[in-house]
This record gives sequence, structure tokens and C-alpha cells, in this order.
Amino acid sequence: MAVGLTYATADTLVRMRLAALRHSLRDKNRVAWVAGGAFLGLVLAGATIWAAAGADANLVAVAVTVWALGWIVGPLFAGGGDETLKPEYFTMLPLPPRALSGGLLAAALAGFAPAVSFVALLSLVVVGGQLSVGALLIALPAVVLQLVSFVLASRLAVAIYGVLLQVRAGAVLAALVNAFILAFTAQGWALIAAFISTDVQGTVADAARIAPSGWGLAAVESAGHGDWLQTVLALAGLALLNGLMFLAWSALLVRRTTATRSGVRVRRALTATDAGGAAGAKEVRSWTRDLLYGHRAVFAISYGLFFCLMPLAVGWKAMLPWAGAAAVVMGGAMFSNLYGADGTALWMTVMTPGATRLDVRARQRAFLLVFGPPALLITLLLTWWSGISSAWPLVLSTLPALLGGAAGLIMLSSVYSAVPTTDAHKRSGNPLNSGENEGETMGLVYVMLVLISLAAAPALLAALAWAWWGIPVGLASGVLTWWYFGRLAARRLERRGPELLTLLRHGRQPGQQAAASSLSAKLAQLPQWRRTLAGLCLGFGAIPLIPQAVVPAIFKLNHVDAKAWFLALYTAPAWQWPVIAGMALLGLGMYAFGGLTYYRASKLSVESPQADPLEDADSGRSVAA
Amino acid sequence: MEALELLGLGKNFGPQKAVDDLSLVVPQGSFFGLLGPNGAGKTTSLSMAVGLLRPDTGTAKIFGVDVWAEPVRAKGLVGVLPDGLGMPERLTGREVLTYLGLLRGLPADEVAARTTELLEVLELDDEDGKQVIGYSTGMRKKLGLAVALLHAPRLLVLDEPFEAVDPVSAATIRTILNRFIAGGGSVVMSSHVMALVEQLCDRVAVVADGKVVASGTVFEVQAGGSLEDAFVSLVGASTRGAEGLTWLSV
Repeated sequence: MAVGLTYATADTLVRMRLAALRHSLRDKNRVAWVAGGAFLGLVLAGATIWAAAGADANLVAVAVTVWALGWIVGPLFAGGGDETLKPEYFTMLPLPPRALSGGLLAAALAGFAPAVSFVALLSLVVVGGQLSVGALLIALPAVVLQLVSFVLASRLAVAIYGVLLQVRAGAVLAALVNAFILAFTAQGWALIAAFISTDVQGTVADAARIAPSGWGLAAVESAGHGDWLQTVLALAGLALLNGLMFLAWSALLVRRTTATRSGVRVRRALTATDAGGAAGAKEVRSWTRDLLYGHRAVFAISYGLFFCLMPLAVGWKAMLPWAGAAAVVMGGAMFSNLYGADGTALWMTVMTPGATRLDVRARQRAFLLVFGPPALLITLLLTWWSGISSAWPLVLSTLPALLGGAAGLIMLSSVYSAVPTTDAHKRSGNPLNSGENEGETMGLVYVMLVLISLAAAPALLAALAWAWWGIPVGLASGVLTWWYFGRLAARRLERRGPELLTLLRHGRQPGQQAAASSLSAKLAQLPQWRRTLAGLCLGFGAIPLIPQAVVPAIFKLNHVDAKAWFLALYTAPAWQWPVIAGMALLGLGMYAFGGLTYYRASKLSVESPQADPLEDADSGRSVAA
Repeated sequence: MEALELLGLGKNFGPQKAVDDLSLVVPQGSFFGLLGPNGAGKTTSLSMAVGLLRPDTGTAKIFGVDVWAEPVRAKGLVGVLPDGLGMPERLTGREVLTYLGLLRGLPADEVAARTTELLEVLELDDEDGKQVIGYSTGMRKKLGLAVALLHAPRLLVLDEPFEAVDPVSAATIRTILNRFIAGGGSVVMSSHVMALVEQLCDRVAVVADGKVVASGTVFEVQAGGSLEDAFVSLVGASTRGAEGLTWLSV
């Protein structure tokens, strides 16, 4: 392989990537998402370095593993990861495959996410510096090799999804593996405690060092102890692994750029006989025929199952009844961009008189059909199995509230905060990739996780207070949110359908940006610190409220012994309720501050925003007649 | 009453004027060709004319019904083939037509009969089990045309209907459109193929930089020469390619 050619390709592709990045940052909405993501990433990176500075190498090992897992699982949530430079663009260049993939790898390293991960990996340098000069020097190649391994693992994972998602069985398999990995990061402690060692933290740290994500740290530590053989082995192993991943990725790229896509064979033709039936039949067929839809649905349901089944390993059954609820929450979050995902096909709904309301309701029906029966079945079976009779009114109250809430909220978010994606017939060979808005896609998932969970709050509170009377409250809140949010979405679509279509067709444009979200223009008049703080409060208010107040409260009421990461349960018994109450107040206070800031901003008057002349070139691009 | 009227349509994308105070009249029964260089604003104008893109200024009327004041009534009167937009990719061609026919409130047996006939005439029936995602560009165009025809509208608005379509299918589409006109329908189509426009259309308008620079019968716009010559002189461009590019010859 000609090294010179690879270098020249890499140089050109990196410049292309940076140019694209520069252009994309002219979109203010995108800047907001990128800045939010980078801020969050830097906070986490800072925390990793802080752990290293505190000389807690075990914690560093685990943290680096979590970063690696983020790179592997992340693309699933972020619409296939960054694909500014699609391999398809370059298929007709007379380049050897490895020169091209080498160039693409270099370009993949030139972005915000690798930069943030690089900062996090500086924790290895900090660890090395505390050990010896030799360890400090070893940390430098270790950081580079580890960073390359992150990016390669992510690209390889995406390429493997690409192969798996071409057949139904593969889509299901990928969903199960992803769900297991994600559930394991939260609940894996139980499996470790049950099957490997009661010293969960020690085992996790050991495993994190043995995993390739820990080899960089292992090299630094062994250099610190003067064990140079192990240092060399760890670094060589990392380099070898990177080489192997690179070869596998190159091979899969060749396959990707030469394969055809035709979709699975049709099983059951459309047999509806009226308008409502036709709308529903079309929607159900998207779920059964589009492997990405199926993949996400299986992922959501199996995530709920794994998440609540894993603690069973230590004999803890209290989570079993909640598996169905968890599946619905995850399911709603995965399907919160329905119109964005269907892209410009919306023109048919816009052009067909009376079709909007039918379409919105049909999408809700399809969601309930896909998630309702499995969630109910899982809830009934696992609650019965858990033998916790006090859980019955709680789960039977929250489940209908969650199902209705999710069915309503996904339509609201699909219509009001659609994220434009690339049209299906223009997509690349990466089935997860849907455009250039990966940060926004991921943000929407997080926001929806919180919002859908909140939809269960009235039912849960009623059930906690009045037991079985929670069920009618849950049913009523479910029906109400399904009906009312669906109605809001349908009305909005009826009135602003052409605007949504324009967004999906051309992406966000500066003029429409201001018009579509005049709230953001109003917010811009507030001081920067207040906007940032309000955003953070709304983003993270759920942490004190849900896991640090609601969940431990439920645990205490049910006399569950597990402490997990619930701060209150580690304090003396007398302090537990006050801490829970404090956390609840903190969470509610954060929401109140964020909500009030946005509310007050919405009452401000706004001057018409000045168009930015720089944005001319970008907006003109997609306007071509 | 006119089949289609565009009344002072205007659209800005950011500071750029895509369409600037564009007015046109398409009389009933006419086959109207919309010509213009790339980026002239043809697709933007046609999108605003049928209700797919909200104009900043002006409006459009279909058989006298204001598209932006009474969208539901107007959309019932027109069949549209947009350029390059998506479809329900996971349905087969037959299912797309069935779905849209039922949504438009046609009785199920009527939808089935029309669907079968359209697929057959446009030679899409061989690939009946194929999802739209697997269609070629030409097949997508033909399915789009079937969608536009399905509810038997009195006006067709077609954006580049002959692009990527093979010669046999193109002849079929020409025949269909001529019969549609003969039956009292009206057609507006945009195209880059001058010969086709000369052959099919009775009226044309030339758009450049978002404005109408010429409009009238084909004979009037031709002004004695060929339509192509008239077009080139109207949009103020000179054809290039005669000088430079010396490195192309060995």
C-alpha cells in the first residue's frame, strides 16, 4: 500500500471534513446542539481527568471503558454516527480501498467527538505523571492508540450494523446485543456480583483493564511499575487490534459501496377498504418491512426486559414489574421523529385533502399496536413472577398512562420538533445513518425519555396514595394524552404541513429558523449565563428528581434493600427521607427555574432577526429549482 | 375560468430571492410548458402553485379556488408530480396507489380497478412485489405520474415528468397526456427537453432568476426560430464549450 497515497488522501479528506464542519456551524440551531454536546462531553472528560488526579486508577479504567462503549453503542442513538464524508462519494476514485479507508479514518478523527474523547484520555497522562517519567512518556502513544481504537471500534460497529440490518434475523440480533450492552452498563453489577465475585467494583475494574479499552491504561501502569514487557505487550496489542479493526472495516466498506438495497420481500399486501384503514395499514407496513423500525422496536422491548431482569441475578425481584414500563419509555424515545424519518414522503399527506388527521391517528395506532400488547404481557407475567403484590396497582396504573403518553408525545415531537433526515431513497449504505443531525437526534431521544416518564407521574402518585384507584387515573391520563396531544399534532400538521415539508426537504434555513422557533430568538435576548443555566436545569433536573428522589422513595416504601447509586439510601435512616425530599425539591426547583426562564422569554417581544449574509451560500444550495 | 393562475408569487430563502413576483395564467385545456435554466425557480414556483410550499407573497388559484385560502378544496382539483420527493418507501407501487386512492375517499373497488389499469399502462405491473425503495429513478417517476392521475383531476402539475424515463415509457406518457388534454384536462409541466416541449405544448413560459421573461403560445415565444434558440437568447446566456478545455484532447 502506498503510504504516500494514503497520506495525500487523508490530507484531502481531513480538509473536506473540516470545511463541511465549518459550513454546518453556520446553522445556529446546529451550533446550539453541538455546543451543548461538547459542553456535556467536556464535563464528563473533566470528571475522568479528575478521577485520574485523585489517583483512583480503578475508576479511570472503568471510565475509559464507558467512553469506549459510548463510541460503540452511540451511533444507534445518534443516527449512525458522523458521516459527513460518505464512502459512497469516493467509490469512483481510482484509489485502493485501504488508502480510501485510511483517509476516511483520518477524517473521522477530525471532529468534536474525538477531540472531547482525547481530552478524556489525557487522564492516562495524568495517571502516568503520578507514577514516573517513563510512564508519562508511555502515556502519549497510549492515548493516541486508544483514541484511534475508539474511532475504529465505532466505525466497525456501524459497518457491522450495516451488514446485520440487511436481513430480519440480523436486525433482531443487533437489537438484542445493543439492548444487552446498554442494560449491562446500568445493571451489570448484579450479574457480576452473582456469577463472578462479590467484590463488584474490583471485578469491574479488573475487567475494564483486561478489555482492549483498558490496554492503554495497563501500558501506562506497568511502565510505572517498571514492567516493560507488559508495557510493550499492551501497546503492541492495542496497535495490532487497531490494525485488525482497520482491515475488517476496509473490507466491510468495499462490501457496503458495492451492495444493492431492495428491501425485504413483501409478505402481506395492503387490503384496507377505507381511508382510516389505509392510513393504518401503510403505517403498520413500515414497522414490519423497514428493518430499522423493527430493529428499534426489538431494541426498546428487550432493553426493558434486560434492564429489569439483570438484578434477578442477585435475587432482587423488585424491578421485574417495571420491565414493560421501561420498554414503553424507551420505545417512545426511539420513535419520536416519525415525520423526520419518513422525510419528503410527507408531500403525499400534505396534498391529499383530509389525510393529516388520519395519518397522525394511524401512527399512534401503529405505535400502540407494536408496544401495547408486548408491554402488557411482560408486565403481567413479570409482576406475577416477582410475587410483589403491592406492585400490581402501581404498574397497572402507570402502564396505560405511559402508553397513551408516549403515543401522544411521539406525535407532538414528530410534528413540532422534527429533525430532518436524508430521504430513504437517497441514503448511503449505512442503514443507521439518516442525515447530518446526529447531535439533535440524540438530544431528542434524551428529552423524550424524560418527558414520557413524566407522563406517568399523575398515575404513579395516585397509585401510591390510593392503590387501586390509580388505575382509573392512569387510564384517564393515558387516553387524555393520546387524544389531546394527537389532536394538537394533527392541527399543527394541517396548518403548517407545507412548512414541515420545507424543513424536511431543504433542512433548516436561517430565515425559517427564526420564524419556526421565535422562542429561540426571544431567548437570545436573555443573558448567556441564564440561558445556559436554564438549559442545564431542564436537561438534568430529572437526575435529582427521578433516580435520586422518586426511585429511592419507591424502594423505601417497598422495603427494598438495594442501594445502587441512590445517595439517600447510603445515609443514616433518620436522614433518608429528608435527603429524598431535598433531592425532589432540587429537581423540581431546577425544572421550575428552567421552565420559568423559557416562559418569561416567550413573553418578550422580539425584533426581526437580521439575516446573516454568510448563510447565503448554504441556503442557496438546496433551493435550486 | 383559468385552470391555474399564479398571482405575484414570491419566495425568499434567506436573503436570496428564489421567486420574485411571478405571475402566470394557464387557460383551461392548454398544455403549458414551463422552461428555465437550472436554479431559475421552476420547482419553487410549482411547489407554491399547488400548496407544497407557502409563498412569502402572492397566491395561486386552481380553477378559481385559492390554494392558500381553501387548500382542501384546491387540492382535490389537481394531480401533482413533484420532482425528487420521497414516497412511502416500504409500500409496493400497487399499495401506494391503493393507499392514496382510499385516502382520497374513492370506493375500494374503483381504487383497485384504476390501480391495476395505471400499473399496466405504465408498465409497472411486472414488478408488483417490489417496494418503492427498490424502484429505479424512472420507475419512481412513472409511479409519481400514476399518483397524479389516480383521482382523475382536471389539472395536472408535473415537474420534469420525462426525466430518466425510457423512450418507450416516454411515448406512453405522451399519449396519456395528449388524451388527457383531448378530454378537456389541462397540464402544466416543467422540462429541459426543448424538442418535447415544442412537440407537446401549445403554450410556454420561460423563467429566469425567479421572473417570467417570456410567455405565450409556442409560436409567439419561438419568434421565427427554434424554441432552443429563443430560450438561449431569452435567459441571456451564451453557450460555451468551444474554447478552453484543451487538455481534453490528446
